[in-house]
Amino acid sequence: MNDQWPRYEVFKQERDGGPFRNVGSVHAPDAEMALLNARDVFARRPACRCLWVVPAAAIVATPIVVNAAGDAEPADASGPLEPYAVCGKSSERQAMTYVDYLGRVEARSAAEALRAAPALGAARIWWVFPERVISRSDPEDAPGLEAATGKLFRMSNQYHTVVTMQKIRRGDEGEE
Amino acid sequence: MADEAYKGQVAAFEARIARGEKIEPGDWMPDAYRKQLIRMISQHAHSEVVGMLPEGVWITRAPNLRRKMVLLAKVQDEAGHGQYLYHAAETLGVGRDEMIAALLDGRAKYASVFNYPTLGWADVAAIGWLVDGAAIMNQTMLAHCSYGPYSRAMVRICAEEGFHKKQGQEMIIRYAAGTATQRAMAQEAIDRWWWPALMMFGPHDSASSNTPQLVRWGIKTKTNDQLRQEFIDDMVPALQTLGLSVPDPEMRYDAATGHWAGREIDWDEFWRVIQGDGPMNASRLDARRQAHEDGRWVREAAAAYGEKQPGSGSAGEQGRKESLLPPCAPAPLHPSESTT
Amino acid sequence: MIDPTLAVPLADRLLAMADDELILAHRNSEWAGHGPILEEDIAFANIALDEMGHAAIWYGLRGDITGEDTDRLVFFRNAGQYRNVQMVELPHGDWAFSMLRQYLFDAAESIWLGQLAASGYEPLAQAAAKIATEERYHLRHTSLWLRRLGLGTAESHARLQTALDALWPYARQLFVPLPGDAALVAAGILPDPAALAHEWHGRARPYLTECGLILPDETPPRRDIPRTEHTEHLMELLAVMQSVARLDPAAEW
Repeated sequence: MNDQWPRYEVFKQERDGGPFRNVGSVHAPDAEMALLNARDVFARRPACRCLWVVPAAAIVATPIVVNAAGDAEPADASGPLEPYAVCGKSSERQAMTYVDYLGRVEARSAAEALRAAPALGAARIWWVFPERVISRSDPEDAPGLEAATGKLFRMSNQYHTVVTMQKIRRGDEGEE
Repeated sequence: MADEAYKGQVAAFEARIARGEKIEPGDWMPDAYRKQLIRMISQHAHSEVVGMLPEGVWITRAPNLRRKMVLLAKVQDEAGHGQYLYHAAETLGVGRDEMIAALLDGRAKYASVFNYPTLGWADVAAIGWLVDGAAIMNQTMLAHCSYGPYSRAMVRICAEEGFHKKQGQEMIIRYAAGTATQRAMAQEAIDRWWWPALMMFGPHDSASSNTPQLVRWGIKTKTNDQLRQEFIDDMVPALQTLGLSVPDPEMRYDAATGHWAGREIDWDEFWRVIQGDGPMNASRLDARRQAHEDGRWVREAAAAYGEKQPGSGSAGEQGRKESLLPPCAPAPLHPSESTT
Repeated sequence: MIDPTLAVPLADRLLAMADDELILAHRNSEWAGHGPILEEDIAFANIALDEMGHAAIWYGLRGDITGEDTDRLVFFRNAGQYRNVQMVELPHGDWAFSMLRQYLFDAAESIWLGQLAASGYEPLAQAAAKIATEERYHLRHTSLWLRRLGLGTAESHARLQTALDALWPYARQLFVPLPGDAALVAAGILPDPAALAHEWHGRARPYLTECGLILPDETPPRRDIPRTEHTEHLMELLAVMQSVARLDPAAEW
């Protein structure tokens, strides 16, 4: 195993019923630690209700890897039929998050899942991975994840520097 | 023929950027774009991590409980920002272990500003207002960067960085109007951090060879001198309002230009510190090397445990080449995949 | 609100709880920028931040009773006036030492908070319930690390065993009651610290064994060490922690 441990892509759901969005990744020695560290790295702010971690090595993304002749590898039809998570990025607007989880398709390989992905919507970038590699935070942890954002001193609106400077310029007594 | 095809690809790539589209991992990109970004992003990541050290030593000395928590939260954020940036660089095909090795070997650079020592509590305040203030200007610009992962990391960092500058400014405001000890401490800190903060904006535009290409490729939207001037015009009047001065006897307002101007930066010092001869260069890298070495047995233990777990092999879909996120250019695209 | 005869015992107990959190948080914060990997710099800083917050809550509850200012208590008491257990003032050592100390403390804390949530003194019950949410993560974090260090490599195992041998004798002080605790227990405000020891042993011993560790022989000490006694480490810690505040006691920072 690499000195810095393998990467796990992290998906975060901000609110109950909201989309799962890819926020970045953590390096972790296993899924259990990945889930725990994902909270500290990504749940400090903004809000968080649920987290998923997915081994980066299990994710297949567009464009499809091609051979020297420019042809896509034929979709492997020998694997077991299983649900594949499909994620996509459809907007060019500035954001903090990358692909969103869009749904699942039944497929025998990642390549087959990528071909079926457009059935779930339009996107410029697709990610697919077997749903069985997802590690999810325990629903019982939701209050703890939400509480992670409770430290108000991380919010810049707690520091009234603009108002204070204005008062000083106007010559008011004191600073507050 | 190949040369024409390549020029066509570059033109299409630049047109995408001009349209405001993000370049994502797997998209075609010129090798120079990829290399520039790996250099910039990894340097930025290293800066965040090294930047934990000058302020980190004051967490144990913070003079009240709130300041202690705020400083720890700030230093924690810096680790987080390094983490987001290493992630962005990794999407370009370089591993975090490689980047860290380059830093610890002395091959990689990081922001020179962290090669200065923090000698008093008020240095934490000065760093917050001046150094983070300068960084925010740069980061706000980079949030518009054409490379998706870097842009996203910067948007997240900008959202978190707000309180970093404000907590510093709040302290300087308070100490400037505080006890004689505090006023002296604040002025001394401004005196020591003013020039390092100005140096953060880099060499003069005339001495900065990278800039035109970085502008064309949507990585940079303002020049070094433009940003530096904005910073000076904002900070000098604000400090004066508080009864504090900058350590530049030539600093004055030029009514003709509408800008504040003072003496030249000491460019000898600037280049010396970048080349590794600053007051704290050796110490910063020593600290990082120490942490890395001391932590080796810990990382190995976690790795050994992870590998012993049942099913630990399946996570990586071993042996299937297609399971890796595709490296960036120059892999040819599938005929049905367009660049848009 | 509080029965006047219980005010002093409660204030004493709150001070002890606050000092434990503060001193442990201070030691944990020393790791920032020096952790074994970036993700742990972030995670352990979170634990330290939570603990500082908990300290602030307990100092605040004490201030509600005594009128004392939190920062005065933190920055202007000498080592002899602090009421933390010795275990938390020890230098942070290596990662194994810090993780094991954290585990022993968190395991006790989670049992303590669980029972405190049923306190007859409402502010204490509410604070305990709120703090317990964060404590779950602390215990989970250190539990996961203990497994990985105990069962990882020969080196990590040896270091963890050394840490356990060093820390185990200090752990019992967590359950030594303060002089005023008996009255608080009788009034339904505090769980009995001595009774918690049994539950703690019931959880910690099997888990440590599961992590491949050998529990040191339990030779009962000659006496219970009171929280008024400290090692020299606390004096060094406070000299650093209070250095800036004491430069100008009149200043507001």
